[in-house]
This record gives sequence, structure tokens and C-alpha cells, in this order.
Amino acid sequence: MEAAPAQTERRPTRWRLMPERGTVSLFELALLAICIALVAGRLPQNLQDVVIQTFLWGGLALAWNIAGGYAGLISFGHAAFFGLGAYCSTILAVNHGVTPWIGLWLGALLSAAFAALLTLVCARLRGPFFILSTLAAAEVVRIGALNWATLTGGAEGLAILPTPSVLNMVFESKTTYALLMLCYLVAVYVITKVVEGSRYGFYLFAERDDEDAASAAGVNPLLARTGAMCLSAFLTAIGGSLFAQYFLFLDPTHVISPELSFQFALLPALGGLGTAIGPVLGSFAITPLSEMLRSYLGGAAAGLHLAIYGGVLVVVMLYFPGGIAGALQQISRRRTKGAP
Amino acid sequence: MTTVGQLVFSGLLIGSIYALMSIGLTLIFGVLRIVNFAHGEFLMIAMYGAWAITRSLGLNPYIALVAVVPAMFLFGAVVHQLMIRPGLDKPHLVVVFATMGLSILMQNVALMIFSADLFDVPPMLSGRSITLGPFYAKPELLIGFAVAIACTLALRFMLNTTYLGKAIRATVQDGEAAQLMGIPVPRIFLLTFAGGSALVGLAACMMMPLFSVFPTVGLNFVLIAFVIVVIGGMGSIEGALLGGICIGVVQSLCSYYIAPAYGQMFFFILFLLVMVFRPAGLLGRKGEANIGIND
Amino acid sequence: MTTLLEVRNLTRTFGSLRAVDDVSFSVREGELLGLIGPNGAGKSTLYNVIAGALAPTSGAIAFKGRPVAAWKPYQAARAGIARTFQIPKPYRHLSVIENVALSALLHNATVAAARHSAEAVLADVGLADYAEEPVSILTVGLLKRLEVARALALRPSLVLFDEIMAGLTPSEVKGMTSLVASLPARGITVIWVEHVLYAIMKTAPRIMVLHRGQLIADGAPEKLAKNPAVIKAYLGEEMSLA
Repeated sequence: MEAAPAQTERRPTRWRLMPERGTVSLFELALLAICIALVAGRLPQNLQDVVIQTFLWGGLALAWNIAGGYAGLISFGHAAFFGLGAYCSTILAVNHGVTPWIGLWLGALLSAAFAALLTLVCARLRGPFFILSTLAAAEVVRIGALNWATLTGGAEGLAILPTPSVLNMVFESKTTYALLMLCYLVAVYVITKVVEGSRYGFYLFAERDDEDAASAAGVNPLLARTGAMCLSAFLTAIGGSLFAQYFLFLDPTHVISPELSFQFALLPALGGLGTAIGPVLGSFAITPLSEMLRSYLGGAAAGLHLAIYGGVLVVVMLYFPGGIAGALQQISRRRTKGAP
Repeated sequence: MTTVGQLVFSGLLIGSIYALMSIGLTLIFGVLRIVNFAHGEFLMIAMYGAWAITRSLGLNPYIALVAVVPAMFLFGAVVHQLMIRPGLDKPHLVVVFATMGLSILMQNVALMIFSADLFDVPPMLSGRSITLGPFYAKPELLIGFAVAIACTLALRFMLNTTYLGKAIRATVQDGEAAQLMGIPVPRIFLLTFAGGSALVGLAACMMMPLFSVFPTVGLNFVLIAFVIVVIGGMGSIEGALLGGICIGVVQSLCSYYIAPAYGQMFFFILFLLVMVFRPAGLLGRKGEANIGIND
Repeated sequence: MTTLLEVRNLTRTFGSLRAVDDVSFSVREGELLGLIGPNGAGKSTLYNVIAGALAPTSGAIAFKGRPVAAWKPYQAARAGIARTFQIPKPYRHLSVIENVALSALLHNATVAAARHSAEAVLADVGLADYAEEPVSILTVGLLKRLEVARALALRPSLVLFDEIMAGLTPSEVKGMTSLVASLPARGITVIWVEHVLYAIMKTAPRIMVLHRGQLIADGAPEKLAKNPAVIKAYLGEEMSLA
């Protein structure tokens, strides 16, 4: 055995530089500081939009990752949870005057219940069979929303009155929205880290890696998976409600689409599946890029930014399956072990 | 009653063409144990290819298949070598995301080249239908049906009698054992993926006269293809044909008696029901869905 | 000594194949019971049924006096049955110690406590040096030891070992044999499937022989060696006693 184990066994109580399971690192604190600066700084409106979307997508990516990265339940149907949350809080607000601050919890619970149903129904499905089932389930929700026009407004969509008020969760200032989204991102991040370091998280990782071995070690796989999917759906739905309050317009084609579902999966995949910082990095890297590409290239080369997305995803998955976070980890590991 | 009969007849015809589009997908799954999420985009570019040839050379799409099918074979081979092969020994989510990325890439390249407009080829017989006994059908449907059946029979013949066919069947049953028996499994993978792509090209030529092509057309059809493959059983050619016919008939009946949009929802529900109660499909191997792939 | 495990007329079929055919036996607390048989005899299937990974087609199992046929693997684990897998199944994204700590979580409230427990188990099987390494660097022999560590970390009453010696060097076999032999004294009953016959024949006071799903012999190793049915089952194989 080389000298390496002696180095890795040393666990000093000082701060870790790079993100690690179970602890907070300097990297994460620095990132948080940058985020707060972005909210507090007086950025021009269009940049503030980018910041808002980056934070929102960071939270959504983290939420997907709990099911897809930690539990290994890759879903291409998360737009259903997003849409359920968005529509639930919006319908309650528009038709029944329920404040979105309460409505979003109801939407989240509804989503979680739907997720539990879905996971139980698809309990024995693995791999692509499961993925396709999530896709089909989301399509059922989309078509249902499209055709149940009396409830959802159908293809014409549902609009929220843009009268600013705290009770209605509609704000005049983009800074407030940015703060709201940052709170969402931080909350989901904290939840992710807590899960990651907990018994439950540990059980999830084992179940994902080898279900039979985990079962033989006392893990109830169905319960573990259902829990992960429900939590993921719950958090995704909250993001959906927040989105509705920001965008102020919902329609099924854009809010419950397969394209959106792919996006939920794409950001964590590029950023690093199965890590907490990965989805955040994925969103921070891709969302601003995508917005800028869209505004500069816009109609002229519509689709170029997505084409680049797609190409990058192919290359990353084949050659850097750990994503951005994985690459960072490799660099930091090489530095701790010293030069060979 | 004749309405129902006509609907079933039309459903049968279009269903067989859906089946043709799905045979490639089911073979690829049976042999390589992967799902190609870009399958719809393969169909899309083949349709654009057929359209382009038809428009520029004045031929009709059925003749265009002479160029489209080999081109798709080559395209499939290239994609396999560059993208699928490196991903085969990695966790299956690598291939899932890689093909997903390819799907997004292809959709948007098509968008940039062709724009979002719908393109069509002119119909045969100026859009009139042929009468067959009590039923009527567009000639494009009948040709598509004939080609689909012929193709299925030819494939079955090939699988049963030729060495390549037997090698493919062996690989479907047990890839490791096949390799140990001296079957060049990597080459079988390549040929199956490329062949499946060629079949998609053939299907595209049959479908171009019936559907418009636009960059995201693949998304509609890939979901249908997945449903068909699941119902018929992954890896079964005859299953794909049966599944296709089922879907065609269900869609035909639902579109008439219920709103077309709800019709789509019905076959997703059908998909989910099959997944729950008989994930192996009509003719697939039991327990396959529970084992998954590459695990 | 009380009966820990009782198996009665257990049968498991796969279509027309009777993988386990009307098998009956009981295991008392503190026993070290060997289970041998030619390939395909049904040993792994028997384990799978006892540990809950497969449901029996017919017959009964009782563990600690309670009937438990057709339970799930995690229930078996929680009741006190641990098993190893013939082909090791480590958690690939976790380190060696984390692999063991997962099992230790059954008896520890926190991840940190489980890790602490795991350290002791790793020392027991001789894997302490590899604690923080990823499992990908382990050889087959070490992976088998990891399987043993994971099973022991569950603090089971009954452990089912499935060919843990395969691929080990003679000195490793010695070490593993003494570990297994020490378990009954620590309160762990052992059923031990093994192909490395010299190890098991020397150590286990009682051996059962499975052939084509049926239990054809059950007794002391010396008697088994002279049993014509056993010799016939192993036709072509040499059986030597130490």
C-alpha cells in the first residue's frame, strides 16, 4: 500500500475547500455570497431576469436530482409535478382567492400524492421502462390539463392579475423576486444536503447502486424510492408555483411539456448527478448561457442555443459523466493526493 | 356498423405503418438493450430527406427510398460508432442522456436549416381514395401497409434462415453467451443499430405522403413508437406489428368517437396499464421489464 | 439449544425445473452447518428463498419460531438473517467503509455511529487498510471479504455464506476459515455454502449435501465421504479429507 491512505484518513476539523457529503465547504459559502451579491446589487432588468431564472432552475434541478441522482429514478416526466404545483396554486388564487403562500403547499402535497401513486404503480419497472412511464404519465397530465378547459383554461391558458401585493405573491420589484427565488434555491439546497448526510440518504445511495444488496441489508426499496420521488415532486411543485407567480401566465403546452421535463433532467446531468452542488452548477452554467444565446441569436438562428445544449450533453455524458461537479472533484482529488 | 368497420380498416392500415416505424426501435432494444431516445429524430431527418429528394428531383417518396434507406443505414452506423458504442459499458443513464442530447441537437439543427414550417409532398391520385369492397382507403395507406407487411415477413425470414439472423437472435437471448460462441457481438450491435435506422428511413418514406414534416414531428411519433414497442414486447418484430395495429385501431376509433386529443391520452393510459400489468407486452419475454438492462 | 431455523418440505420451481425439491432440515443456535453440492444443485436458490429474495412454491420456513415464508429480503435482514452474494454486489459509488456502514445502520442511529461500527468489522476481516478506498480497486478476493464484512455488520443471528472462498489464495482461505469457525462462539449461527471442499470438510461438524434440488445427505463429514449417493453426485470430482 502506498502512502495515500494515510493522507485520506486525516480528517482535520478545519473547513473543507470543495463540497463534500455531510459538511459545508468554503466553495458553497463563496457561491452563496455571490448569489446574495447578485440579488442585492443593482443589476439592469434583463440581467435580473437571468438571475431569477438561474436561481429557480437551480432549485428545480436540485429537486429533480433527489429522485434522479440520489435514488436513481430518472424521470422525464417531472413537468407534471411542476405543472400540478403551478396550476393548483394559481387556480386556487384566481378562482377562490386563496393566497399563493398557502396555495403552493397544497399544490406541493397534490404533487407528492401523485408521485407516490406513480411510484407505486411503476414499482417493478426499471431502467428505460420506468423512464418511459414517467413520460407517459406527464403526457396524460398535459393532455388532461389541455382538455379540462373549465378548470385550467385549456390551451388559452390561465393568467394571474399582475397587481403587486405581498399577499398575492406578486411583486413590483424584480429584486424581491430574485430574493424569493434565492430563498427557494437555498431551502432546496439545504434539504438536499441534509438528505445527503442522513441515514435515509445513505439508504437511497445503496438502493440506487444495488437494490438486491441493499434489500439484504435491511433497506425497504419501495419505501426509499417512493419517499425520494415524493420529496422531489413536492419541491418541484413549489418551484412551479413560484414560477407561476413570476411569469403570471400558464398554459399546458409550455408548462407541462416533454421539453420542460428534459430540461429538469438536463441541468443535473450536465452539472453532476448525485451531488448536491452539481445541479446548482448546472443551472449556473447553462441558464445564463441559454438566456444570452437566446437574446443575441434569437429568431435568426432559433434553436442554435438548444442545438449547442444537445451537443454539449452528448459530449459530457460520454466523456465526463460526472458533469461539472465530477470534473471539479477530480481536480481537487488530484491536488490532495499530491503529484504522482 | 360500416363506420366502425371503416375505422378499424383505416386503423389497421395506419397502424401497420406505425409498426414499420417501431420495428427498428424494438430490434435495437432487443439486441443492444438500450432505448434510443433520438429515434423520433431519426424518423424526422429521414422524412426531411425524402421530402428534399422528392421536391428537388421531382420523384415521389417511394422512389426516394432508394437513397434514403442506405443514407439512414450509414447515419445509424456513424451514430453507433461515435455515440452508442462508447456508452455501452457505462451505466445505462449515459446512453439515455446521450441519445436525449442527440435528439435535442437534431431537432434544433433541423429547425435552423428548415425553419419551423410544415412541409408536405403532393398526394397520389390528387388525394382521392381507392375503394376496396366496402372500404375505402388512400393509396398511400395501402402501399404503406403492403410495404410494412412485406418488410416484417422479410425480416422474419432473414432472422430464421440466415446466419446473421441467427446471430441476432442469439444475441437477443444472451449477449454474453453469444460472444462466447464466437459471434462477433460488436458487429451485430453495429449492424442492428444501422439496420434499425435504415428501417426508420423506409418508414419515413412511407409516412411522408401521409404526414407533414417539421422539426419536432419526431416527438409525436416517438411516443407512439414507444407505446407500440412496449405493447408488442421489446425485441419482438411480430409484437411491433401487432402493437402497431392495436394503436392504429385505438387511435382511429378514439379520434372519431372521442376528441382526437383525448384519443392521444388514451393510448398513454393504455401504455401505463400495460406497464403495470404486463410489462413484457404481448409477445415479449416475461420479467424483462423487472430486470431492466445493463444492470 | 433452541432451533433457530426450521425448513419443512420446501420446494421452489421455475417452470418445470425443481430447483429446490422437498427440502427439510433444521438448524440449531450456535451451529456451523456446511452446505455442499455440485453446480446447479440449488444452493443459491435455497438461500434466496430463506433470505426472502424468492418466494417458495410450497413448504414452510420458520425462523426463531415464527413462520416466515414469502417475506421480503429487508424483513429477513431486520429479523436477523444476513447473507452474502455468490457474485459480490458492492455499492459502486460508495467507499469500502461506507459499504459496511450501510449494513451497520441497522443497529446504529446515525451515519457516524455506523461508520464507527464498520471500522471494527473491517478490522475483523482484514480490510481496515482499504477503508476509504473506492470499491472499484478491490480484487475478487477482497470483494468477497467485503461481502462477509457487510453480512457481519448486520449483527445477525444467522448468516448464510455463499462461496466466500472462491478466488482466495490458500493463506486467505485459512484466515477466512478461522473467522467463520469463530462465529458460533460469538453467537452467530452459520450456514456455509462452499466449493472449496477441504476448508469446509475440516471445519464444519455437520454438512448437508444438495443434489438436483434434493437433500441427499446430512451429517458428519467423515460419514459423507463414504456415502455412495454423495460420491455418485460428485462423480468425476475428487473429494479428499484433510
